[in-house]
Amino acid sequence: MSDEFQPLLTSRYGIEGSHTLAVAEKHGAYRTARRALTMMSPEQIKEEVKKASLRGRGGAGFPAGVKWGFLNPKEGEEVYLVVNGDESEPGTFKDRTIMNQDPHRLIEGILITCWAIGAHTAYIYVRGELKHSIDSLDAALAEARTKGYVGDRPFGKPHPIHIWTHSGAGAYICGEETALLNSLEGRRGEPRLKPPFPAVKGAFGMPTIVNNVETISAVPDIVELGGERWCSLSRLAPTDGGVRLYGISGHVKKPGIYEAPVGITMRELIYDYGGGMLHDDHPLKAVIPGGSSTPVLRPDWTVDAPNEDHPLHAWHGKSELDVPMGVDTYRALGTMLGTCCATVMDDTVNMVEACRNLMRFYRHESCGQCTPCREGGAWLVDVLDGLLSGRGKVDDVNMLVDIANNMMGNTICAFGEGTAMPLLGFVQRFADEFVEVAKRGLPLDVRHDESTRALVKGGVAA
Amino acid sequence: MPTFKLNGQDIPFEPGDTIIRAAWRAGVEIPHYCWHPGLSVAANCRMCLVHIKSGRQMALPVLVWDEAKQKYVPGTKPKLQPACQIAAAEGMEVDSVGEEVEQAHAHVQEFLLLNHPVDCPICDQAGECKLQDYYEEHQHTLKRKRTEPVHKPKAVRFGPTIVYDAERCIMCTRCIRFCDEVARDHVLDMRERGNRNEIVLAPGRQLDHKYTLMTEHVCPVGALTSRDFRFKARVWFLKTVPGVCSGCATGCTTHVDFDPRNGKVYRLRPRDNEACNQYWMCDDGMMSYKELHEGRVLTPVRGRGDEAELLLVEEAVDAAVAALRGVDHGKIGVVLSALHSNEDNFVLARLAEELGTDKLYLAARDAKLEGWEGDEILRHADPNPNRAGAHAAAGRTIEESVEDLVSDVLAGEVRAVIALGPWCGERAESLAPLAQLDAFICLSANEGTLPELASLLIPAASWAEQSGSFTNAKGISQEFERAVPAPNGVLPAWQTLVHVAAGLGLNLRYGRTSEVRNHMNAKPAASAAAPV
Ligand SMILES: Cc1cc2nc3c(=O)[nH]c(=O)nc-3n(C[C@H](O)[C@H](O)[C@H](O)COP(=O)(O)O)c2cc1C
Ligand code: SF4
Ligand code: SF4
Ligand code: FES
Repeated sequence: MSDEFQPLLTSRYGIEGSHTLAVAEKHGAYRTARRALTMMSPEQIKEEVKKASLRGRGGAGFPAGVKWGFLNPKEGEEVYLVVNGDESEPGTFKDRTIMNQDPHRLIEGILITCWAIGAHTAYIYVRGELKHSIDSLDAALAEARTKGYVGDRPFGKPHPIHIWTHSGAGAYICGEETALLNSLEGRRGEPRLKPPFPAVKGAFGMPTIVNNVETISAVPDIVELGGERWCSLSRLAPTDGGVRLYGISGHVKKPGIYEAPVGITMRELIYDYGGGMLHDDHPLKAVIPGGSSTPVLRPDWTVDAPNEDHPLHAWHGKSELDVPMGVDTYRALGTMLGTCCATVMDDTVNMVEACRNLMRFYRHESCGQCTPCREGGAWLVDVLDGLLSGRGKVDDVNMLVDIANNMMGNTICAFGEGTAMPLLGFVQRFADEFVEVAKRGLPLDVRHDESTRALVKGGVAA
Repeated sequence: MPTFKLNGQDIPFEPGDTIIRAAWRAGVEIPHYCWHPGLSVAANCRMCLVHIKSGRQMALPVLVWDEAKQKYVPGTKPKLQPACQIAAAEGMEVDSVGEEVEQAHAHVQEFLLLNHPVDCPICDQAGECKLQDYYEEHQHTLKRKRTEPVHKPKAVRFGPTIVYDAERCIMCTRCIRFCDEVARDHVLDMRERGNRNEIVLAPGRQLDHKYTLMTEHVCPVGALTSRDFRFKARVWFLKTVPGVCSGCATGCTTHVDFDPRNGKVYRLRPRDNEACNQYWMCDDGMMSYKELHEGRVLTPVRGRGDEAELLLVEEAVDAAVAALRGVDHGKIGVVLSALHSNEDNFVLARLAEELGTDKLYLAARDAKLEGWEGDEILRHADPNPNRAGAHAAAGRTIEESVEDLVSDVLAGEVRAVIALGPWCGERAESLAPLAQLDAFICLSANEGTLPELASLLIPAASWAEQSGSFTNAKGISQEFERAVPAPNGVLPAWQTLVHVAAGLGLNLRYGRTSEVRNHMNAKPAASAAAPV
């Protein structure tokens, strides 16, 4: 943890009343938006965001500047900005901290972005359970409207910008951007077929940019510092720029959200930011790096990149924990950075049980539209139930892999991969444990969650 | 036309065609459940996955077993694409076979059957079910899931015509899309998610629009069954001939499914026809086969009311000849029917010509009287299959209705009538004068207003009992084939007419349908479609 690090995204966190316009503005809010709307052209802003190498914070890590560049509205088409605040990925709890503690930062980011991409309307789609975030945003919007920052002439600019919150109804899949758009339009929250992508045909059939809450919240800092300078704050500049929010939860002493440059290592996140393992006698066993859809990492696994061309060659032979956390580095590692919110598990956790726990979530949340995800996801739970309850066979582990392999790439949206990928990760990195459970059932010396206890006792799987 | 290659074979396509559509048009099937040529693309079943050779490998790894290392290692596979969603492009090379593709097909098929009840022995879809067909073609493995399948509602009554079994449903949404896009009634939707989802009715609604049976027809599995057809027949015992619906002037082309063992027609299904009904039919049309078995006229009847006597079929012609003998031929009224085939109408019009009478009338069903409503989809405002054909047979537009016939009878200008039955557009009350005629010969397959009035009623073969043709409102003449034998040796009306003509010493000689047709086509005035 470097001492000279200046918080940007979290600069107003912890200040009494930071969610109110008066306090936020006293601490710098809307300064950049005023400058951007009155003194900068949309092109200049887009250029800065491109230079910033701002990788989307919603999970896929797509460069925001490039995405904005896809917009090419036809005559008569209106452009929309949709901010994704659905934040439902297990283990992920970063966006809500912005919405709760500093809603004006998000609103400022929206104003600048709307000006840059030529949008007059923005929707913030917030996960329905995040009642507090919705209230906080609504209150902040009311203040910003009263001030005239949001409305027909933001900062005197004749470029009306209207911002609305929209609450989800309790479906993880509505975080997927096209399901979100369906839900926003009042339809069943099912992902749409792509192409067309939202930038061509999004909300209400119009060209739409969908970005994560944190992505948009980074825009004021980028404009303030300049894209290059902001980018260079990252340890992985220039391909993966800036600073970001890191989340950490599970068996650590200090779970929470921390801001840090892009490219710190998982080891730093766990031991420096997270305060180390919760119990000194229970060492780290596994960590899910960026939300439940990202394949698990193992501290005792080392990077296997003897080839000099390999992007991870510099870390060859080192622990997986020592690879800098970036969109591309984690891809190369065989996992994903995802939402950058890690879930830490010590040696009291059985990996088959952890895997089943997640798979139950995916079974429950699949929209059920396409066959491999609808049926495959539920089957995975079924097989895992069998293993844990002692009805399993060693060959079931192969069957798990076979099921997941055939979900991969064969579904309408990335949910299918978000289900199959972590399963494959668990099996790959903890194959022995799966085989062990298959042979002997669940070991008795680890803690079990309630639903597994029911299973082991022969109860009905929930 | 541009082409692409499918499994090495050149497939022509029109710009905008998806791979599956171009292949389908070329007669090559790519396995599919959710795709239907007449509906929008949902791409949800994932059965049509193909390998586009210029495509990329998957960015994310799968796991493969490494024998040497004795462990799972990351591997890769090509990113397969749904053929129903991807547009064909010039020079594209596509494989719907090959190891990876076949593996995907096998797994999708396995996924679909995981929670399926596999109750084929009691399922009406058996024998024409895509799950069965594709299991044979693409899966062929034993069930690997050992636990109880998910249970869902069964035998849900969706409305007067359709029953839903959620356990058999594969969630392809064809039924929803059909109602939305073709019937234009958003009465079906999906509820719940994951593998607990099911198709449901809009709250407070029933599936009761005019095209409900089409949902059963588009359902690729046995999830939707027709309350009419349920448990009545096994499809492998049924034979099929091409038919034309007799319901209205659209003239939807049909498949007539019948059981040759008992000579019964069990259902009608739409026969794809770009020029006419695309892939669809309306409920009334599909149920119109009922008239083949209900309210039939099977025996000739002479006289009315208490004096009515039954004749043998063989006696009918002599009776007709006797009734007409002595009547001034010029005073015989001839009633063509918009419900009868071109052949029947043509021969009757020829008979009129031979008789030397110009008193032609047209009997047609009346929409209001029948409670029939047309729509913008398929249903024509005119509930008669062959008005155009009747006009064409007469060589002119017949303005005269049965009402005019009544006036002419009252005026003494018509003394005898030969009519094709069963229905006309007038109410029975206004037709009373016809009941006074000594010679009112009606040839009809079914009971109806005209047979009711006849002094001599002669049974006729129904449309399913003869081959013939109807000319629809667009002027397209479409042929149908004989499905089942006529009961009791009953003849098509035109054949009876030929015999009557012979009895009267007239020159009207046709032996086979083909002779009638040849003559019909050779007589330009009679074969040209007259405007309605
Ligand atoms: C199943 C699923 C759930 C998702 N949930 C979220 C979410 O809760 N929040 C979010 O910002 N992005 C989520 N995404 C990613 C979005 O589809 C989209 O990529 C993102 O909002 C784009 O914003 P970004 O480019 O700023 O990251 C999800 C994707 C999938 C496939
Ligand atoms: S992959 Fe899953 S969540 Fe995505 S569309 Fe298919 S069923 Fe729905
Ligand atoms: S009822 Fe039939 S058509 Fe409708 S979704 Fe289910 S399987 Fe498809
Ligand atoms: S036919 Fe169903 S996905 Fe293509």
